[in-house]
Amino acid sequence: MMGGVVLQIDFFAWLQGIPSWLYGVIQWIFGIVSGIFYWIWGIFTWIWAAVFDVANFFFLIRAILFPGLVFILMTIIFAVWFTRKLWGRIQDRRGPFHLGKYGGLQLFADAIKLVAKETIIPDKARRWMYRFLPSMLLLVVLIPFAFIPWDPIWFIADLSVSLVLVFAFLTAVPVVALLSGWISGSKYTLIGGFRAANNQFASEIPLIISTIGPAMLAGSLSVMAITQAQSNIWFIFLLPINVATFLVAAIASVGTFPFDAPVADSEVIFGWRTEFSGIYFTLTYFAEFAEQALYSALIVALFLGGFQGPAFLPGSVIFIIKFLIVFFFFVVVTSSFHRLRQDQIVYFCWKYLLPLSILNVVLVMLGIANIPALQAILGIGG
Amino acid sequence: MSPDILDETTEIWFGPQHVSAHGWAAKLTLVGDFVVECDPNAGYFHRSAEKCLEFRNFRQGALIMERLCMLEAFLAEYPYVQAVEKIAGLEVPERAKVMRTIMMEASRIHSLQFWWGQFSAELGLFAMLLWPWVDREFFLDAFEELSGSRHAVSYSTPGGVKYDFNDKVLEKLDIAIARFEDRMPVMRDMLMGSPTFRARTEGIGQYTLKQGLKFGLSGPPIKACGLPMDLRKDAPDPNLAYDMIDWEVPVTESEEHPGESDAYDRMVQRFREMETSVEIIRKLLPLVPEGPIVDPKARGKSNRLPEGEAYGRVEGTRGISTLWLKTTEKAQTPYRAKIRGPCFNSYYSLKHLVPGAKFADFIVVFGSLDPYPGWWDR
Repeated sequence: MMGGVVLQIDFFAWLQGIPSWLYGVIQWIFGIVSGIFYWIWGIFTWIWAAVFDVANFFFLIRAILFPGLVFILMTIIFAVWFTRKLWGRIQDRRGPFHLGKYGGLQLFADAIKLVAKETIIPDKARRWMYRFLPSMLLLVVLIPFAFIPWDPIWFIADLSVSLVLVFAFLTAVPVVALLSGWISGSKYTLIGGFRAANNQFASEIPLIISTIGPAMLAGSLSVMAITQAQSNIWFIFLLPINVATFLVAAIASVGTFPFDAPVADSEVIFGWRTEFSGIYFTLTYFAEFAEQALYSALIVALFLGGFQGPAFLPGSVIFIIKFLIVFFFFVVVTSSFHRLRQDQIVYFCWKYLLPLSILNVVLVMLGIANIPALQAILGIGG
Repeated sequence: MSPDILDETTEIWFGPQHVSAHGWAAKLTLVGDFVVECDPNAGYFHRSAEKCLEFRNFRQGALIMERLCMLEAFLAEYPYVQAVEKIAGLEVPERAKVMRTIMMEASRIHSLQFWWGQFSAELGLFAMLLWPWVDREFFLDAFEELSGSRHAVSYSTPGGVKYDFNDKVLEKLDIAIARFEDRMPVMRDMLMGSPTFRARTEGIGQYTLKQGLKFGLSGPPIKACGLPMDLRKDAPDPNLAYDMIDWEVPVTESEEHPGESDAYDRMVQRFREMETSVEIIRKLLPLVPEGPIVDPKARGKSNRLPEGEAYGRVEGTRGISTLWLKTTEKAQTPYRAKIRGPCFNSYYSLKHLVPGAKFADFIVVFGSLDPYPGWWDR
């Protein structure tokens, strides 16, 4: 048998191998069956743990009800209603008032109408990306809400780097905008997409540098820790200019008036959203308001002391009141200026906002190093 | 930018389905973000008004004319009325002259308020779209009280006017003007004091007086260059009452670039136009004499006109609008009517004003010239 090429197989060896082969097949089938079984079993245990393990159950409640998905969606619906009503008042008209008390149900009616509309996908659009990107956009904007400390106890998640993570998610927004402008197959959407990228290009650096001040004062990159560090004094009193730069850069980053070059209707129809219709338009429209709400909540958490306030009110109520006040400023600013051109946006953000925010960082550094009283107020050990 | 980007051009159609292009379309050639070529297209709003005029008698023709530009209906219908009056040799009663003039100026204010709101919306401030449009409603109320119609007023008729003033009309007109005067300073601050507005309009769509005259522009776009070219003063019409009172032609002379006008100057100029109109109305209202509002013989005389031709013209909101009318002996309808609106020139001057501007500024240049499609497509 040794040496040379043996073309014939050893029949008996083959015969002897059959049982082990059969055994292997059975094992393989058993593996599949047991795998499926354990997978299903795992689902059961997961549900069991989620519902009946107290800690997990409350996490589920937090993630889904308050301050999770349902609460955030209601906030966004309220934000849209609030914006429209306030814009109406500023513009000498009444705003929505037909459905519900003070037009409160108008948004639900609009959402039903938009969802029921026909979805028209242009011939030149990339179909799968066209379907995927709007939902991706809303997802990317909703995830950072998990790190907003709406309440001292009743919050979703707290990471040591949550501030960085929030901006990591938000940076993806203009990328999605650019992509959806690109794949919509229209020149206007492409121009709008590049304008969205341009907006972020201009506003992101001052935006993020504006958050360095509170982070250094608190000695932490966690939004929760920054909020807790303001128990003695709110950072808006220590960093008033930073609040302004953050607010303006946030408006520019969202891309609403007066920085709405990406969706300027008199110039590029509706920018990168031109070709979206029905549910896809609803998703992108919601994402814009979600982003505004997110930035408002961030301003409250970073500069206005978050849930800190009078003791007779629950933390979440205090946070929501502050949130409404900040959002009011958002709406007022977005309805009082003419639209800036894209190059003027870059010029404005880089010439005015960037030096101011950097100056603030320098001042904070000098303050922490040289003013012992500041350390005492902030309660940081250096 | 690298040279290969500069070589690549993109053609983009601005209209006719664009939200801010209603009844027109311009083909723009872009290099990067700059417009290098602008090709304005007419024809999307064509309703063959000139041919229609050949089938209407001399009292009906004005109704076609005012539909060319509903925003300045009192002014738009006047060239036709004037031409008919010239051919028929009609005398207009004093009362009708003054009333015509008052309503034409009210129409000018209302038209400019409309333009100003639209221009603000094109610049992205919707508060300033709706504020003037709310004020404008009060003028429309007065028009409705006067003629029964908000826009298609058909007021002037050969030999006079159709509807008489009454207390209610005067009251509503007074309310409209008082409200306008009351809110004017606030709005002036909102626009001219706004740094974002200045940033968007200064130096945009700039041309010299010589260029402007070469384009054939008239009205506010020329007066913004500093030339007081105004038909109301230069060629006072005997059938209007502009020479009864003292008033100055509003002119804008920019300090930074004298003899030139940009979008901002044209904005300022139109504000001054509105103020002048208010001044004229205020001065003319006490001067309305008693008497008939229409020449009793006008109806018989305008039924059949003698052979002749006449040229009617009026200083409209957007410039000088003219009409040439030719009639044959004992004709009931015109032999030929030729309309020349002010906006054909301002629309086609985009061809020279837009290249070199940024794509975002195209609509600012367009809006600052205030072209209305009805005037160029007839």
